[in-house]
Amino acid sequence: MKVFKRLLLVLGAAGAVGMFARVRGKGGVPPTTGGWRELEGPEFR
Amino acid sequence: MTTALVVGLGAVGTRAARQLIDTPGIDRLLLADRDDVQLTEVAAAFGRDAQAVDFAPGDAIPEGVDVVVTALPTGVDHPVVTAAIAAEVPVASSEEEHDALDQLRVLDRNARGAGIAVGIGCGLAPGLVDALARHATSMFESVDEIRVARTGWAGPASVNTVRHERRVPVRTWHDGTWREDHPHSDSLVWFPEPIGAREVRTVTGATALLVDAFPDVGRISVQLGESPKRTRFRRRFGDDGEWGAARVEVWGRRNGTFDCTVYGVVERTAVAAGAVLAVVAARLGGALEPRLEMPGVHSLGTLVNPVPFLAELAQRGVRAAAFEGVAVA
Repeated sequence: MKVFKRLLLVLGAAGAVGMFARVRGKGGVPPTTGGWRELEGPEFR
Repeated sequence: MTTALVVGLGAVGTRAARQLIDTPGIDRLLLADRDDVQLTEVAAAFGRDAQAVDFAPGDAIPEGVDVVVTALPTGVDHPVVTAAIAAEVPVASSEEEHDALDQLRVLDRNARGAGIAVGIGCGLAPGLVDALARHATSMFESVDEIRVARTGWAGPASVNTVRHERRVPVRTWHDGTWREDHPHSDSLVWFPEPIGAREVRTVTGATALLVDAFPDVGRISVQLGESPKRTRFRRRFGDDGEWGAARVEVWGRRNGTFDCTVYGVVERTAVAAGAVLAVVAARLGGALEPRLEMPGVHSLGTLVNPVPFLAELAQRGVRAAAFEGVAVA
């Protein structure tokens, strides 16, 4: 019974960690500085 | 003067028709849709230059048509494009689903034999992003990677395609070969404001079109954001369409260093797709200069010259932007 409870605890903890990772996602590449500028000029750059 | 046949009057087709009727070189617009009520209403709204015709996929192209425009649900384009090739009439298609795109790519030899150009994936992404990728790659000595991302959808058919693409196994172009994988988890991508950061997932999408256009690039990926589940409910109450955004990231070498160029665009997805589809069609039909005369089936990464194409779209209100800042690999 004790082993079973410990197993349940471990599975629960693993599930919680998994859920947290899923909710947070992988993240991305944040644009640390700068912004967007409309393309302009004869070459549209 | 040019006569265009627009097949499919959904969110994208209606806007493409509006753009075409406002193009001076187009003097006659033939409209076809399976929904007779929608067809009659749109034809009446566009005035005397627009005419509803009894045309369905599988029918022969009517006499006197100079260019065919298709904005149909996934997989329905093929018989229309085939009929257009048989009639030796150029076509612009807004198809975006990967299997359907592969079926259209197979028609390349037929189109070359008929001596006509077929533009496929003419929308926001695929479409405008392919032209932006061509524009960005021209600034590099060698390109290592192209990443394309889009969030937003054009109409119910587009929503279905997005959901399908995000669900099925993914084929990506990695180190010059195709790699098949299960759908990945979402990751964050930053689009131009006001869209900002959105979660996207790697999909197959129009990766093959980018590989066709940039065969020397080792890594190419396409990512799509998810559409909210309440879209149909909102549309019933007259929502004018959803804002979308696309982003192209090109990594490579220039001036001896590893560098990156990021382009983006924010617009209502159906408006941007309709404008892109109309400009390509007008150029294929000779209503806009320069006329596109490149026999075969092409994406916009090979079919259009990016600078005049972007200039024409900017005149129609679809403007691209460049990210200026520190990008991290």
